[in-house]
Amino acid sequence: MSILKLENVSYAYDGRNRVLKDLNYQFEKGKTYAIVGRSGAGKTTLLSLLSGLTSPTGGKILFDGRDVQRIDRYQYRSRYVGVVFQQFNLLPHLNAVENVELSMRASGKKIPEKRRRATDLLDKVDLDEGLAKRRVLKLSGGEQQRVAIARALSFDPDILLADEPTGNLDLTTQEEVMDIFSRLAHEENKCVIVVSHSPEVAASVDEVYELASLRQSKKRRKG
Amino acid sequence: MLVIINALKSISRSMGRNILIGIIVLAIAAASCVALAIRNAAKEAEAAGIDQINITGAITVDRQKMMEGIQTNGRPDMDAMRKLMAEYPDLSLDELLVYAESSSVKDFYYSSSISLDAGDSLEAYSTESSADSSEDSGGFPGPGSFDNRQGGGVVIQGGTIGMMAMGDFTLTGYSAEQAMTKFVSGTATIVDGELFSFDSEELTCLISSELAAFNGLSVGDTITLANPNDAEETYEFTIVGIYTDSSSSQSSDQPRFSTAMDPANLICLSYQALEAITQNSASVATAGTDYMGNETSTAVRGQLASTFVFTNLEAYESFAIELAASGLGEYYTVTSADLNNYQSSLLPLQNLSQFATTLLVIVLAIGAVILVVINVFNIRERKYEVGVLTAIGIKKPKVALQFVAELACVTIVFIILGAGLGAALSVPVANELLTSQIEQVQAQADAQNTNFGRTTGGGPMGGGPVTTIGGPGGTMMSVFGDTAEVSYLDQINATINLPIIGQLILIGIILTIISSLAAVIFVLRYEPLKILANRT
Repeated sequence: MSILKLENVSYAYDGRNRVLKDLNYQFEKGKTYAIVGRSGAGKTTLLSLLSGLTSPTGGKILFDGRDVQRIDRYQYRSRYVGVVFQQFNLLPHLNAVENVELSMRASGKKIPEKRRRATDLLDKVDLDEGLAKRRVLKLSGGEQQRVAIARALSFDPDILLADEPTGNLDLTTQEEVMDIFSRLAHEENKCVIVVSHSPEVAASVDEVYELASLRQSKKRRKG
Repeated sequence: MLVIINALKSISRSMGRNILIGIIVLAIAAASCVALAIRNAAKEAEAAGIDQINITGAITVDRQKMMEGIQTNGRPDMDAMRKLMAEYPDLSLDELLVYAESSSVKDFYYSSSISLDAGDSLEAYSTESSADSSEDSGGFPGPGSFDNRQGGGVVIQGGTIGMMAMGDFTLTGYSAEQAMTKFVSGTATIVDGELFSFDSEELTCLISSELAAFNGLSVGDTITLANPNDAEETYEFTIVGIYTDSSSSQSSDQPRFSTAMDPANLICLSYQALEAITQNSASVATAGTDYMGNETSTAVRGQLASTFVFTNLEAYESFAIELAASGLGEYYTVTSADLNNYQSSLLPLQNLSQFATTLLVIVLAIGAVILVVINVFNIRERKYEVGVLTAIGIKKPKVALQFVAELACVTIVFIILGAGLGAALSVPVANELLTSQIEQVQAQADAQNTNFGRTTGGGPMGGGPVTTIGGPGGTMMSVFGDTAEVSYLDQINATINLPIIGQLILIGIILTIISSLAAVIFVLRYEPLKILANRT
């Protein structure tokens, strides 16, 4: 049973510049996915559609069988989908722990010991306590990316969407991050969708969707 | 909870911005606090003052209204006026006593004045070369009498005495101590002897120290006075007391039409004694006709002045309603010089209160505009924050609420500080402003007095309009009568109390709502994807 399903999804900016056309993808829990493609292929647009930040201009996206357009998309984003943005989108006036805590509070879920959970998550992405208490603007790009990953995981979402999550990480950390994603999918039954142009990332996931430039796309099953 | 936590974190992490907003709110709060305290204190002082004053009044004929009612071609028709005046005679003591029975009236007293000539052994006090002013034409004198004239609350009665000769002295008979207002106020004091009995018809009297010294009189001596129309009709008075009148020396430079108008020539006695004189005079009088064919009499006639005392403003107003409802006539009215004087005394305070209200409106308007502008810039700067918060699933209204909460917290804190500052400043600022207002009003009044050739020092309002009826003598009274000094309220207790704090909180809420309205509109318009995409 797919947790996310794209049915003939199309998207065009300003109603004319079509970026995506008739996509029919399915994403299941317990698996990792990679969406790959060249620059301008619409990877980030697809991630925006999957995260409910925008709506398709054609077709529909089903979450757990329900049309995302017809459900409360704020609740969808805050409770069910954790997003790691390419630009991290952290709040600069808060420190790393507070950014993670904020997402937990925003979810409205009853999460005990938020501070401890935030610290643990940051520790998991290799950010020690000293860095965790720094304002995010004082962290490097890689460190900010790890904070963004910790934030996306903080409220235990069913789906994890990540836009180039390893772009600012060294190879070792990349592997560690991808290991975390794998564990989340395989051990905690999450659906992890990664947008990336990294061959290493594509190689480490269960399934890869390749977005053809402009209108062509195909599914490449690993095996 | 999310909103509050986020708001507090945002405040603590953006101190510079919030201090800037806070300083503006502080200035608004302090200025508003001072303005509100002044307004409140002015209102309280007015209410407290009106409770404290004993309102006295009299039933008068509203000649102004009368003249307005009979105007033809923009000018009053004097024939109609005379006719109308005849329809509105002076009320008799018996009629006045009926109105004095009203539950609104706390006390009622009256006095009556006549004019008599000096007997053989007595000379009227005068600083001029000739003291003999008898046979002067004109009406009834009496500017210096200690009667209960209260500016607008005067009724001089006595009918037509137009051609009656004027004597050297004014004799005023009082019904009660309260009627002797100068003695009550302390302007006049008995320095020798004692007061006459109000219940006695015996001809005992008080004379001024000037008159006593001028004639070498002392307590126990007797003086003889005569009817100015009939020298044979004489009355012998026993002096029971001598008084000094501080106001008589102040008014000595005023022009006199008769020695009877000099306060030094005022002889005080009981109303009963005066009534005995007028009754006796009427009984021995001879009748005749003047050159115009009008009936005349040699009898001396008293001019009645009456005063109603009211417990408070409410009683005064209800008495006015009762009077109007009694069917007495539309031009009869109740007037009170106390009230006029009191209202005049409040002029600087009312100016100050008006100034405070204007200040309040300006401060709030400018403050609100500044806060709106700051908030608009603030929100534009924080657009990215709005994008992130909405991207992670916080609903726009919650984000807007967070911004409102931030502003509300800053506003509340600085309103409290502003109230403290305002509380410290309000009393000295209010009194300083009041002093300058008084100086301004006094300067205007002095300039006006100087322009009219009057000596300065009197109140600008001159005791309010004096309405007199009963002949030209009455008019002279109003022209040369002593002007009542207006004592301005020069201190107000502009302290902060609970209602003011409530009003300040209300101002804070209104300012927060107005200034955060811009924030709310902006937040609701923003789309997270657009914000984040633009940033990318």
